[in-house]
Amino acid sequence: MTKETVIEVQKQFEEALRNAPDPRSLEEVRNAFLGRKGKIAGLFSLMGEIPPDIRKSVGQMLNELKENLSGQLERREAEFGSKKSAGEWVDYSLPGYVLHKGSRHPLTRAVDDMLSIFQRLGFDIAYGPEVETDWYNFESLNFPPDHPARDMQDTFYTEGGGVLRTHTSPVQTRYMSAHEPPVRIVAPGRVFRNEAISARSYCLFHQIEGLYVDKDITFSDLKGTIELFCRMYYGKDVKMKFRTSFFPFTEPSAEVDISCFLCGGKGCRVCKQSGWLEVMGCGMVDPNVLKAVNYDPEKYTGYAFGLGVERMLMMRLGINDIRILFENDVEFLRQF
Amino acid sequence: MIVSIDWLKDYIDIDIPLEELAEKLTVAGLECVLKEAGKSVPAGVVVGRVLDKKAHPDADTLSVCTVDTGSGEPLNIVCGAPNVAAGQIVPVATIGTYLSPDFQIKKATLRGIESQGMICAEDELGLGGDHAGIMVLSDDHQVGTPFSDYFPSHKILDIDITANRPDAMSHWGVAREIAAITGKTFRKAPVRLEEKGPDIHSLARVTVAAPEGCPRYTARVIEGVHIAPSPAWLRERLEACGLRSVNNVVDASNYVLMETGHPLHTFDFDKLEGKMINVRFAAAGEKFETLDHKERELSADMLLICDEKKPLALAGIMGGTLSEVDEDTVSVLIESAYFDPATIRKGSKQEQISTDASKRFERGTDPNGTLAYAQDRLASLILDLAGGTLAKGMIDIYPHPAEMREVTLHADYVTRVTGIGITIPECRQILTALDFEPVREDAASLTVKVPTFRPDVEREIDLVEEVLRINYLDKIPSMARMTLSVAEDYDKFHPFITDLRNFFVGHGMHEAVNNSLVGETTAHAGIWGYKPLRILNPLSLEMNMLRTDMIQPLLTSLRSNALKKRSNIRLFELANVIEKDEHSETGAREHHHLGVLCCSPLWGLNWTEEDKAADIFYLKGVLDDLMTTLGFNYKLKECEGRDEFDILYDIVVKKHVIGKIGQYRRDAFEKLQLAYPVAVMELQIEKLFGWYAPQRKYSPTPQFPSIFRDISLVTDKKLKAVSILNEINQHGGKYLVDLVLYDMYIDDKKLGEDKKALSFRLEFRSDQTTLTDSEIDDVMNKLFERLKNQYGAQLR
Ligand SMILES: [Zn+2]
Repeated sequence: MTKETVIEVQKQFEEALRNAPDPRSLEEVRNAFLGRKGKIAGLFSLMGEIPPDIRKSVGQMLNELKENLSGQLERREAEFGSKKSAGEWVDYSLPGYVLHKGSRHPLTRAVDDMLSIFQRLGFDIAYGPEVETDWYNFESLNFPPDHPARDMQDTFYTEGGGVLRTHTSPVQTRYMSAHEPPVRIVAPGRVFRNEAISARSYCLFHQIEGLYVDKDITFSDLKGTIELFCRMYYGKDVKMKFRTSFFPFTEPSAEVDISCFLCGGKGCRVCKQSGWLEVMGCGMVDPNVLKAVNYDPEKYTGYAFGLGVERMLMMRLGINDIRILFENDVEFLRQF
Repeated sequence: MIVSIDWLKDYIDIDIPLEELAEKLTVAGLECVLKEAGKSVPAGVVVGRVLDKKAHPDADTLSVCTVDTGSGEPLNIVCGAPNVAAGQIVPVATIGTYLSPDFQIKKATLRGIESQGMICAEDELGLGGDHAGIMVLSDDHQVGTPFSDYFPSHKILDIDITANRPDAMSHWGVAREIAAITGKTFRKAPVRLEEKGPDIHSLARVTVAAPEGCPRYTARVIEGVHIAPSPAWLRERLEACGLRSVNNVVDASNYVLMETGHPLHTFDFDKLEGKMINVRFAAAGEKFETLDHKERELSADMLLICDEKKPLALAGIMGGTLSEVDEDTVSVLIESAYFDPATIRKGSKQEQISTDASKRFERGTDPNGTLAYAQDRLASLILDLAGGTLAKGMIDIYPHPAEMREVTLHADYVTRVTGIGITIPECRQILTALDFEPVREDAASLTVKVPTFRPDVEREIDLVEEVLRINYLDKIPSMARMTLSVAEDYDKFHPFITDLRNFFVGHGMHEAVNNSLVGETTAHAGIWGYKPLRILNPLSLEMNMLRTDMIQPLLTSLRSNALKKRSNIRLFELANVIEKDEHSETGAREHHHLGVLCCSPLWGLNWTEEDKAADIFYLKGVLDDLMTTLGFNYKLKECEGRDEFDILYDIVVKKHVIGKIGQYRRDAFEKLQLAYPVAVMELQIEKLFGWYAPQRKYSPTPQFPSIFRDISLVTDKKLKAVSILNEINQHGGKYLVDLVLYDMYIDDKKLGEDKKALSFRLEFRSDQTTLTDSEIDDVMNKLFERLKNQYGAQLR
């Protein structure tokens, strides 16, 4: 037995290892080389024929070979995940591997939940830019220049004459400018208000805008659609109430209140004991808005609505400070 | 705005419960809450008389009083106030009284003497700040009566008036709404004037040099007034509405404002030089000191009320210091005018003054009936309260009187908008109650004149809203029409980004939402080098620009998490980044981007795995997975000269740079003491979406067996692994279907100091036939020869 014999066995082994595609064939390789009747055992059984003066060094060589082969084999077995051979005792009480859990942000998740309801009701999704022109953000929506209605929304102005959109409503006129009626869209997105940041208000929030313009769209359709949405989103027992309000781009305009989903309308801290929560603004598209996009108000009517996502989400999750939604604290995010 | 119920009753009978009234007004568009105004004294506090006062035997500062509270047995009360004395009438908090939610009066023993109540100081009752001693009451307080009886409360409505309803900012306006809702009749207080003085034209003169800013100006003069405090009824009414009482003339003016909604101004007539009023625009740079003692430099847009020499007031906004009515005033000039809303709004914005008057003028007041009534009403009130003699007649500059607008409402239009039928007589009834004047009517239409106090009603649709809000809002049935979606070319972007979001969640990342507004440094640090867009009126310097990349805001999130000692920071965000673009109509160009940041172990702490970081190699793996999922081939190209990075690559698809991926140098965040490297990635989603073709063809699944070959090479340590991978991929032949680098091994002793060992597994397969070992041996041998020649690689 020479060093060449050892190298030859090692080569054969590595060859066999390479060509073993699965745990079962690995087991065969193990038996063929390291088993009781395997090649290594065969070599060891020849030890008696080795002259005593080199027996020790040959023994050492064989031991190294054995170690080498079982090392390689084990590594390969580990790759196949078959470290434990059949019948070996395994502590199955060990806990499962700790995997990283990902999470959707509750805001974008809430937006998606709402969008999917409107999609079921036949609305398509549309988008608009966050930096808007004064015309789309205000004038096309029937906010005349120098009108107090502009004070309803504290505006960020940007260099180059733009504004950060104060609502998603400009998507209405953008979409109508580019499409012939009928149009039926919901538009999600970020909006910005120049208000001091506090627990109750942040300089940006998310809105979802809705618009349906066609022949013979009535306030009755608006009510029906919003009622369906509220029942699908807040639960089938929710009660709704419309009250007159004012938005320059709708006439008549209304705010929608729903019975508080936290106390069932009995009165609690969140609904300020009133039993009602304000959830969205809506109304019939003002004829001036239709004119601004060259739709004929004699021919078409429509409704629009807009809802704020943060407010609703804060009530749902019991969040008192809006800023936590924008901090991205992983201990907050991983809860969802 | 606050209106008092008691005051409202001067103009309208209210016979429905007030809660119901508030509810109905709210539905009609005046969102309101019913409240109690005035000082409230806690229940349980009664009027008592101190019968006797003795010194406390064990405490110098305390005295022991016997107090009659009208309940039979007098109470024993220990009192610490220095001013308590026998015979005084005092407020007594009896046992059980809550002076505040967490302070209840209980029987207590003070230095061995039992006290059965508390004699109260002003501040303890919430009536003022005085804590020097107990409150001593006058003799007309009846012993034994609840102290709260002396503080009658007012029921008030706190109303949130929308910007379109200046007419509703008064008791009149609210009463008119109630009239329409309840069917009762709205009535005004009659005014009778005795004009005993000389002709006003002999006393004063008015010129209007700026008729576009001041379409109507009226003035009356009263001589010989006596300025004095207002009577209690007037003070109470104003205070109930949240106004502070000043003196009888100023209060009368505020009273008429709250009554009619028309703002008035009174000048000290004797202080007017030339005994005249001139209404003109300011000269640019003209200086004027307003009542709030601010010296202001005016622009030429500012409308001024002046006398012959000097400005007296910012018209419709605020008076000046030089002509105000004070205790020495003897004669007053009353101004009742109509100012152009846009002019007032501009002025109020410019000078940043918003007053009761400016708010009403900028929304639009009534130039006709209300203006004239308010003038006469104030004159008569001043005569009643302050005496004096009213000059005969009124100066009235009104060259172009406003006409009442005529608007026609059609029954079929009402139905077209509301979805229900409302008859013309029903519409007429509501509109008449709101003071619209019917002009013509038939079964199909109704023409009305719109009162001049309703600037918001101009068109037919506005009349529909009037009818709807008063009576029909809750009567319209809910009827959603269920037609098919009208958009054939429906949106595919949202499903695309939803898939992306779910992809990253699936990889164990948390979705972040960052502020779009960032500071200048952050905006300029953006990885794309976009020119940032500046906000002209920012909230703060930390938020004066829009973000130009996703990575910088994610680094902000990293910092705030690190400061809270969070590990496991794996974040992604999808949002817009914005660059300045002079050629765009908005001045900006927006790009939808995806940002990713990892500073985290690859796994949670487990009983089996070694601790590895979710570093650049992890992110490269994620990128690879994403690109495979989306069906894109991509290349990484090293970016030069980015010192803050260990490595930064451009991600190239279809020869366009569509992203960046890299890892920051550790020392970039030294202060944060991060446990893991910071790896980041940013992708331009819009480009990917544009190329994305979800309908890819499938590849047939393998029908013939694969042959696997491993090859372990020893190469120079600094040889980039990617060179060998590329080499093998290029020269592996047509059967090479997969290549994996499965081991990298450095051992200076065994391999040599500048060597490393790389192990690759190659998978060969044909879709035509079963490959033979010898075919593949041949490929492998040639491949090895290449690697040996090109890169000096040796077999291990
Ligand atoms: Zn509630």
